[in-house]
Amino acid sequence: MKNWFHSWRAAVRIARRDAWRFKGRSFLVLAMIALPILGVSAADVTLRSSDLSTAESLNRDLGRADARISDPSLAGEPLLQNPTGEQYAPVGDFENKPWPDGPADVKKTIPPGATVLEDTLGSGKLRTTHGLLHTEIRELKASDPMAQGIMRLLDGRFPEKGGEVAATTHFLETSGLRVGSKLTARGLDADYRIVGEYELPSSLGTDQVNALPGAFLAPLDKALKADDLPGTSPTTTRLVSLSGGFTWNMVQEANAKGVTVTSRAVQLNPPADSDVPLYQQDGWGTYEQSTASKTFEMAAMGTIVGLAMLEICLLAGPAFAVGARRSRRQLGLVGANGGDRSHIRAIVLSGGLVIGVASAVVGTVLGVALTFALRPVLEEYNGGRFGGMEIRPLELIGIAALAVLTGLLAAIVPAVTASRQTVLASLTGRRGVRRSSRVLPVLGLIAFALGAAIALYGSTMTDQFAIVAGGSALAELGVVALTPALVGLFGRIGRWMPLSPRLALRDAVRNRGRTAPAVAAVLAAVAGTVAVSTYEASSDAQSRAAYTPELPHGAVSVMLDEGGGRDVPAVRTAVQKNLPTEIRADVDRISVGKPSCSMYGGEDGCGRYEVVVPKANQCPLWMNNGGEDPSEKFSKAERRKLIKDWRCKEGDVYSSVNGGVLIGDAKLLAVLGIKDADAEKALADGRIVSFDKRNIDTNGKIGIRLITDVEAADAAFEKGEDPPGDVKTVAAHQVAGSPNAYGIAMILTPATAEATGLSTVPLGAYYSTGAMPSSAQKQKLDSELDKTGSDVSLHIEGGYVSENSIVLLALTVFAGLVTIGAAGIATGLAQADAEADLKTLAAVGAPARVRRTLSGFQCGVVAVMGVLLGSMAGVLPAIGLRLTQRRSEEDWYREALDEGLSAVDLPHVPIVIPWGTLAALLVAVPLGAAILAALVTRSHRVLGRRAAT
Amino acid sequence: MARKSHQPHQSQPSQPAPPQQHSSKRPVLQLQELTRVHGSGATEVHALRGINLDVFPGELVAVMGPSGSGKSTLLTIAGGLDSPSSGRVIVEDTDITTVDRKQLAALRRRSIGYVFQDYNLIPALTAAENIALPRELDGTSARKGRVEALAALREMGLEELADRFPDEMSGGQQQRVAIARALVGDRRLVLADEPTGALDSETGESVLALLRTRCDAGAAGILVTHEPRFAAWADRVIFLRDGAVVDQTLRSQADSLLTGQAAEL
Repeated sequence: MKNWFHSWRAAVRIARRDAWRFKGRSFLVLAMIALPILGVSAADVTLRSSDLSTAESLNRDLGRADARISDPSLAGEPLLQNPTGEQYAPVGDFENKPWPDGPADVKKTIPPGATVLEDTLGSGKLRTTHGLLHTEIRELKASDPMAQGIMRLLDGRFPEKGGEVAATTHFLETSGLRVGSKLTARGLDADYRIVGEYELPSSLGTDQVNALPGAFLAPLDKALKADDLPGTSPTTTRLVSLSGGFTWNMVQEANAKGVTVTSRAVQLNPPADSDVPLYQQDGWGTYEQSTASKTFEMAAMGTIVGLAMLEICLLAGPAFAVGARRSRRQLGLVGANGGDRSHIRAIVLSGGLVIGVASAVVGTVLGVALTFALRPVLEEYNGGRFGGMEIRPLELIGIAALAVLTGLLAAIVPAVTASRQTVLASLTGRRGVRRSSRVLPVLGLIAFALGAAIALYGSTMTDQFAIVAGGSALAELGVVALTPALVGLFGRIGRWMPLSPRLALRDAVRNRGRTAPAVAAVLAAVAGTVAVSTYEASSDAQSRAAYTPELPHGAVSVMLDEGGGRDVPAVRTAVQKNLPTEIRADVDRISVGKPSCSMYGGEDGCGRYEVVVPKANQCPLWMNNGGEDPSEKFSKAERRKLIKDWRCKEGDVYSSVNGGVLIGDAKLLAVLGIKDADAEKALADGRIVSFDKRNIDTNGKIGIRLITDVEAADAAFEKGEDPPGDVKTVAAHQVAGSPNAYGIAMILTPATAEATGLSTVPLGAYYSTGAMPSSAQKQKLDSELDKTGSDVSLHIEGGYVSENSIVLLALTVFAGLVTIGAAGIATGLAQADAEADLKTLAAVGAPARVRRTLSGFQCGVVAVMGVLLGSMAGVLPAIGLRLTQRRSEEDWYREALDEGLSAVDLPHVPIVIPWGTLAALLVAVPLGAAILAALVTRSHRVLGRRAAT
Repeated sequence: MARKSHQPHQSQPSQPAPPQQHSSKRPVLQLQELTRVHGSGATEVHALRGINLDVFPGELVAVMGPSGSGKSTLLTIAGGLDSPSSGRVIVEDTDITTVDRKQLAALRRRSIGYVFQDYNLIPALTAAENIALPRELDGTSARKGRVEALAALREMGLEELADRFPDEMSGGQQQRVAIARALVGDRRLVLADEPTGALDSETGESVLALLRTRCDAGAAGILVTHEPRFAAWADRVIFLRDGAVVDQTLRSQADSLLTGQAAEL
């Protein structure tokens, strides 16, 4: 043991000094290993730091209070909650009685002697320098000691008077306002002064202003309600301080009075699950990740880490081999002085150890330092402040150990190769062609066959992606192991080549030991890239085929369903002003109840409408009979038949308007590209133009039911009856043929609507454009629409836009870099060996440029072999995965047909080979690598110098 | 000749002991019927043919001969870097043709030291570390190895080189350090293959003087050279041609090499 230690110490010393002597090579390998380690350790520290402890997150939620009492609006009914208060359920069975709704009497739930601080949250539209911004308004006396920790004051102070507010940094940045600015809210004739800037440590991206209780929300709410507009919808919770804290028993007492409690004491010392009555109820319980999904996650992580390490080893291995080859004489001397094979192995392995340890230290230290330095940026990106820098030494040591392991693994093959050399051969510099391992290709072939069989089984017999991916990975590893044998096959084409490429190819093939790892590194990187590219290109083609335009190409629609349409005119003008529009077709919608009601109702005093589809025109599969699923009555064959029935056809586009009913005129037809003189005439005559004949009854009319009593309508629907409501009928004109109306079911003019007794509100507009709007125009319009502070939905039909071109480009560049790097390393290795050959060449009169061209070809040969094998190895798993996907979509389609779910089209799952990426990898990258290698090689050998005696 | 005054034997009254006078001592190295054949069939080359040689403690044997006569092969086989086709090589009672690779390496660490023509030292190690290398490989602690190395350097008057790296030393200094390494610890056999080949004559002389001193102190040495004036430092000179010993002479006769009479012997 001791002997072992001392001889390793000597080996490490030699390796350390060698690493220092060949700084360039060492730095290259160090960077290769340290970069991923840097990333992983930085990610670890960031993840751990952003993961708050219970105490930290409680401080941000409760400040210094002991608990927060919230009213879940269950009318004070007793309830059960989990220890955090996030889950709760009223006690008792509410299946046959209405769900409790209404406030609880919170005051009664506050224990005697407790200090209380109210915290109310609402929202409103505030005026900014750009327009309006929908902003949270929080009324909390933030300067109260109990609130300390909830908001972090960055500038100024918290409000002390009614007319003062503080604002979050994000709000100030978005709004363009500053501390000291005046702030007003839309609908309220009062000014507020911003006196301070703060942040919510766990939610940096929130636009929020803080005011004293009662100073902002109540007056704003009152003003908005007076204008018949939606209010601020405030909710109030209460922070409570109590000596001794809020125990689980006290929480349960409060639950009995219908409120939930977030208690610091309970969360820090949570009760056992058996003491939580909620968990004893059916369907409730603590959520725990299943072991199966954990195992799968671990396996996926392991595979990724393993493949990354393999790739790094394949790249770094040849660098160690160069080192071992260059210091062959030195290793020979060690042998002459009594070093046996294990010593030689130790020296080369120590090279890996030294670089590995250096990479581990550099990677983790830089990773941690970078996280420290970039902490504010990371916190912004993360959206929340870290609880504190949390460094877990054990995890970092684990990550660092990966670096050491990678270094050692990369040096194993060079070490074994170097130790097999006889001392005499090392000393005399004699080199022989080393026979490559005979076992490896056999193992590779077995792995390849097994992996391919698994992948084939996966893609033909199952629809399990994991099986295909796992099989492909195994096959991929097999191909890597087969590389030396495959490289040998390339040698056969050498005899027809001119001198330089022939020499390069022969040299590469004869020295498979150094060529194979470099080729394998290229192979692995290229295979991954080609696999992902093929899969992505195929998915992209599928998405392109499945894309359905929502409007004619180049047309624009804009809609705004809030505030009773009072902002719609401004929005219509903004679009017209900023985009190259031609025809503008204004559209309105039917409104039931108050004008401020939104399209689907729901608010007090709001109703809704529905298009009455005659019973004879309804699809039997979907007909509402108030009970079980109507499709159950039909057999699979009947369902398949019915789906093709005209009554059951579904459109490709769903209208964003209830029932697809739009109030508009002939201009809308023009924008939609429907040229039908009859339709125009029908509109003018006061008829409805219909695009869906199901809606028309036998008298040629369409009925629209106005529902004012929503609850009664819901009850009727449950029973399968017609809901109560006034039905307005209008004569209809069905447009001949079936032109694409992009989801619009019918159009009627404002005059017709008025004559029929339908009240309308402005909704938006459709536009045709003279030219496709430019990105600048779109941005300008977006910023102008933002100023309205409303939720405007704008659609510009630009056809299908591919999303993954950047990813594909990045992958191609990555594979290209790996190829050039690996080929470069292999070339360096070949050059180290080739001195004698080059001398001989020079002696027989070869021109000096042969050295250049030879190194260029050596580099090119490695790149070509790797890229060629990698492309083949990459396309196959991608095709396998696509076949699996096709199978699974076809299964799903058949099921859908059997169930009578919907008339979907036969799935189209194309397989597309990304020729652009392949061409770049197959031609451009090897060519680039070869030229680069030729350029950086000296034409003339620099004569070695010897110290004078 | 001024140079002669450096020769230790010049000041000794007695003549160096001829081989037969060593019969009471055991030889450090014995070569018995040593043959080495490279290749087979048409490419068969007999590098050594039936060599017999004993080298005793305190004795320096020079091996001379033309290129391809088998000098270097003899040396590599004597040190266990190559194995003979037949015959025995006995180093300090161990027949190294019968031991395994591991034992052979251990033997090189403990018994046999090599000095080559040039690039003898590991560039990544200082002079002291180079000398301590065999000891450290053998499991000696770095500190103990350094103490021994410093002692060896001091003995040779080379202390100032201890912490220099090979590229900070002259060729002559490097060869002297290599000799020190060849004899560190219990090693008593030094095999020197043209140790002066890359040096100028004066430096070469001083390197050989050092080798002579170490042998006088009890080591056994074989010196391969093709320079007669360096062979003159030896106790015996063996002439090889085509792998066989064609002649040998004692040191007294070796002096005549300097006058070129050896060729006639």
